[in-house]
Parts: sequence; C-alpha cells; structure tokens
Amino acid sequence: MSSSPLASVAPGKRALTGPAIAGLAVVALVAMALPAFTTGYVIYIANLLLVFVVLCLGLHIVIGETGQFSMAHAAFYGIGIYASALANRAVDLPYPFAMLFGALVAGVVGLFIGALALRMRDIYLALATFAFGEAMQWVFANWDSVTNGPNGLRISPARFGPLEILSDKQAYPFVLFFCLLMIGVTVAISRSRLGRSFRAVRESEVAAMAMGIDVRRTRVVAFGLSAAIAGFAGGMFGLFQTFIHPDSLGFQTTILVLTMVVVGGLGSIAGAIGGAIVFGLISEVLRQAPQYQEIIYGAILILFMMYAPRGLFAFIGDRIREARHGR
Amino acid sequence: MKTNGIVRGLTLAGGLLMSLAAGAQEPGITDKTIKIGIFGPLSGQNMAYGFDVVNAAKMYYDKVNKDGGIHGRKIEYVVEDDRCNANDLVAAVKKLVEQENVFMLNGGSCSAAVVAAKDYIVRNKVPYLMLNASGDGALFPPTDYIFGAFSISQYAVGGAMVEFAAKSLGAKTVAYINHDDAYGAWNLEGSKKDAEVNGVKLVVESVNPTINDVTAPFLKLRAANPDAILLVTYARPAALLIKKAAELGFNKPIILSVTGTASLNQLVGNVGKDALKNFYTQEVMIDSPGGDKLKPIYDMYKAAYPDLAAKPDHPQTYMPYGIPPAMSLVKALQDAGPNPTREKVLAALKAQDFDSGVMAGRMQFGPQQRAANRSTIFIKYDGTTMAPLPGVFTSRWTYEAK
Repeated sequence: MSSSPLASVAPGKRALTGPAIAGLAVVALVAMALPAFTTGYVIYIANLLLVFVVLCLGLHIVIGETGQFSMAHAAFYGIGIYASALANRAVDLPYPFAMLFGALVAGVVGLFIGALALRMRDIYLALATFAFGEAMQWVFANWDSVTNGPNGLRISPARFGPLEILSDKQAYPFVLFFCLLMIGVTVAISRSRLGRSFRAVRESEVAAMAMGIDVRRTRVVAFGLSAAIAGFAGGMFGLFQTFIHPDSLGFQTTILVLTMVVVGGLGSIAGAIGGAIVFGLISEVLRQAPQYQEIIYGAILILFMMYAPRGLFAFIGDRIREARHGR
Repeated sequence: MKTNGIVRGLTLAGGLLMSLAAGAQEPGITDKTIKIGIFGPLSGQNMAYGFDVVNAAKMYYDKVNKDGGIHGRKIEYVVEDDRCNANDLVAAVKKLVEQENVFMLNGGSCSAAVVAAKDYIVRNKVPYLMLNASGDGALFPPTDYIFGAFSISQYAVGGAMVEFAAKSLGAKTVAYINHDDAYGAWNLEGSKKDAEVNGVKLVVESVNPTINDVTAPFLKLRAANPDAILLVTYARPAALLIKKAAELGFNKPIILSVTGTASLNQLVGNVGKDALKNFYTQEVMIDSPGGDKLKPIYDMYKAAYPDLAAKPDHPQTYMPYGIPPAMSLVKALQDAGPNPTREKVLAALKAQDFDSGVMAGRMQFGPQQRAANRSTIFIKYDGTTMAPLPGVFTSRWTYEAK
C-alpha cells in the first residue's frame, strides 16, 4: 500500500449526489448574478480570485496530480501575462487568441524547463524551479525592449469583436467563462488516461514503469500542461488589469499560490479551487486589520497544518462523513 | 415681455435643477463633509515607507477639521492598506471609489504599485494625489487626474545629487550606483541631464536591490578613480556599499540618496561610525529629520499619536512626507470654492504653487508638470551629528513629450 499522503485523496469517478448538484447550481447562479447586485470592487476581487483558481489548477496538475514540486508558477503566470499582452499589442491578435498564445508560450517554456529540471527530485527540483522563477523575474525586469523592464508594461484593454473591455463588470463574464473552461479541462485531464498516468507516477514511479508508463515523459508533459494553464491564467489577468510590473511576479506570488494549493488540499481539484477562493478572500478580508493581519494569517496556517494537514476540503469531507456515521 | 420672463424663469429653473443634479452626482460631498480615501502600506515589509506617512496626512486633516474645515465642510477620511502591492493597491482604490464613494484619493507610497491603478483612475476621472510615492510612471505622460512626487520625483533624485557633487564637492568623475529596477532607471535618466550640464562623467553600476555581496560592483567603480560615489539605492545595498568602502580604505565623499536613508540609526549600527567620515545624505525636506525647522510637525505628531511617539523609531523617518500632499489636497479644495466639483479641484491642482514649509522645494504643478518637488538639500552626517549644508539643489529634468 502506498504511503503517500496523496493516496487517500485521489479523485475517483463518483456520481454527483442531489444535494451536491443543488449546491453547485446555487453557486453557479450566484456567480452569474454577481455583477447585478454588487460594486466593481467586489467584481475585481472576484476576477482576481478566478484567475488564482486557474493558476492553482495549473499548479495542481504538477503537484497534486503528478507529485512533483514546482516553485516556478509565478514565472509561467508572468510569461502568460507578458506574451498575451505583447501579442495583442504587437500584431493586434484578437484577445482570445492572444490568451492562447500566452498559454502556448508558457507551455513550451514549461516543457523545456521540465525536461531539464525533472531530472532532479525533491529539494533539488524545488531549488531548480525556484531559480527559474527568479531568473524569469529578472528577465521581466531587465528585457527593456520587450517587457518595458522596470517601468512595467501597460496592457491594452482586451477586445472581443466590437466590445472593448473597460471595466471589471464587463470582464467578469469572460473571466468566469474561461475559469469554468479551465476547470473543465483540468477535470478532463484528471479523468483521462493521461491523468491516470500522472497519478500512477505520483504514487509509485517504479509501479508506473512496470505498467509501461514512460515516467520521464509523463512528468515533462505534466510540467508543460501545468505551465500552459498558468500561462492561460496570465492571459485572463489581462482581461481586467491594465498594468503588470515584474515586482508582482516574484517569490511572494509563488508562495501564495503554493499555500492556496496545499491548504486547499493536495491532490484534489476542489481543494485547489477552494484554496484559491478561501485564501484569496482571507487575504482581502485581512487587509481591514493591518496591525494584526500577519499574526492572523500565520495563526490560520498553523491551525490548518495542525488540524487539517490534508487540506480544507478533505477536512470538511471528513467532518461530513463523521456526521453521517454519527446519525 | 411676459413670454421672455417665462422663458428666463424656466431657463433659470432648468439651470438650477441642472446644477443641483450635477451637485448631487458629485460623489463624496455632503453639506457638511468631504469624503476622501487614503491608502498606503500599513503592514508588511514595506510599511516603513507609508505607515507614519498616512498618520501624518490624517493628523493634518484632523487639524484642518479642528480649525473649521473647508468652506464649512469637515474632511472625512477612509483608510485602506495597500501592502505596497499592485493587486492590493488596485483593490483598495476600487473599494474607496466604488464602495466608499470618496470624492478624491490621497495615497500610495510605492511607485510600482501606484502605476497599476493609473488607467482605472483616469477612466473614472477621480482626482488622485499620491502620498510619498514618486510614481513617475503614473505621472508621466501627464493626465488630468494624477498628481504626485510631493516628496520628490525619482527622475530628480539622482540629478540633484549630481548637482551637489559637482557644485559643492567639485567632482568631475562620479561613480553612480543605482538599482536595476524602476527607481534606478528613472534616477539615471534624470541624472544624465545634470551630469551633461555640469560636465560630470558618470560611471554607472546597476545592482539588484537584493544584492548580498557588493565587492565586484564596488571594485569596478573604484577602478574608475571617481571623485565621489553616489549611492542611489535602498538602505540595504547602501549599507553594504558603505561598509565595503570603509573596509577597502576608500576615503572620498560618499553621498547617499534619500531612498536609502530610511533609518540612519540603523545605518550607523550596520556600518559603524568610522565608515561615515566623509559621508553625506540627501534630504528632500527643508531640514534634517527632527530638525528645528520641522519641529512643529513633530510636535503635532506627538500630540496626535502619544502612544506611537513613545515607541522607539517613531515617528518614522518619512513621516513628514505625508503633510505636503494633504496640504495640496486641502488647498485645492479651498481654491475650488464652496461648491467643489472634481473638475474644479483638478483645475485648481494644475495651477498650484505653494511652499509647504516641509519640503526643500516649492510644490509646483503646471500644464505638463505633475511632479511637485524636484529639490533637495544635503546633510553632512558623521554617525552622531547631522549638519545640513547650505543650498538647495534642483534637478534639471523636466517632462518632454516623446
């Protein structure tokens, strides 16, 4: 039996129950109706959270599904932002294609970095991907002729046909649609043969090899796919944000996304989504208590590690199961 | 005649209704209050750049309220933490504008973060005065809505240093260490003009703000045999460079930019007094921090925040920087008259020119000028005593549309 902490949270093909479907329907309705009864500020936060959801899904592919470590996702996210913005600006590429271009560039870089870095394991892999992330931030800050260097890059407003997106509310339906699309893509990957290969590699590389899985190729593909999704999140960022600065793509963002995925629940798509939303919201709410926010944030992390080490959603699931058995 | 009278009456009534409607549409203004949004880094590793700056602005607004307010209205402020981070700053700005419905904004201590909000502020036509962010990327090219650099434009920091090195120290070759970031690029661009006019040769070395070993850049600069070294960096690289200079026996003048002077006590602790034998610091205020000319500001702080003032290292070095932007905002509101609109306030700001009594230079805006201050003084500092030197040094950099 596998000793991996991820083993017990591996996704299976379970049918959704009635209450779950009703719950999802309510969430979907609220999400769709949100712009009608709230301010642009709330919609901005919602857009930002949806982008982080996709970024976390990207990291989930490599960490949660394949069991590899990566500290390079802020860099892939940045590549997606810069590539989509520049493609849109330089050749007036329609924004949806610019987003795909951003994802493609990030994915290709991810494949290349994955091919090199995945020769390493554990702490060495973490350090290699961390070094790549730092190097990319340096590139963003210093490749003046392309990225506008330390002055930051102004992102032109996205266009969808005749519609120019000039506000968070205008951007929201697109951000929501692309987020749902990427959730669908991630679920499809997870349930595909490729996804099963990812999890086989995660649980035991030796067993995976014995089953005929090319472990190295699987790891590289996971890294490339993961980078492409992070790059796509970067393109989504350009739908509502008109400026990017290299300072926003450093170690802090890496740690934030890593925290979201780990605390949400490693190995679970719902965990990655929930972690992004819950921790994104906590971060925003804590802005109202500047004197205490670092203490509160630290305390929350410690409590999670102590009482919900498998993540928020596994914790909630356990409590629900306990309650059912108790009845 | 009668018809004319009716038409006139209707026109007048229509005009009144329109002006009332216009007044009603102006957010954040009531008969008794003007609501403004303040934001700055109140937490995190960069809070030293903004925490007490926000406090200074608040205490100035409180003083204005105590003195009767502006045309009978009191200033009501809402404060948000921007964490010195672009996403958080944009969230704070959107919250203040859309949820709090403020009339205008006064905030931001971090340039890169501030620039992220530029498009939003311009689209929504909100008057915005920065706190102590230089924010040159948001100020230029100029817009009708964003005003800043009340402490100093980053374009002007290096230029004023070159001016001082040339005129007061007779330097002909200057070693210039800047950052490989936005500050560094802006500083250098401004410095080149002053170097050219003063016939100064600049030998430039750009370092990362997180650099740990400065031996290589320092040796490269020393090899150029400079007459003075200008450190246009944050405090940490500056401390490393000053220490390295002392270790290697470099005894020519070292001039530290205002960006590196967050805590001179800490600098002395880090480098030791012996390293400061031929050392000058740049200051954008009229006097050294805590000096006689700034005493009223420090007294005001002690009265407003007795608990904070009792703590070590409070007020923080940049505290007085919060006063000039608050003065500018109040002055613009006063100049806009008893029925202020955003457009009237913006027009008043564009014509503003006053002496804050806090900063080295006048606060001046103009048709293309959005950076208020370009002047600095210099202080000889030996690790114990701060002796302000005579003269105000102003950068020649001005914005030119490309």
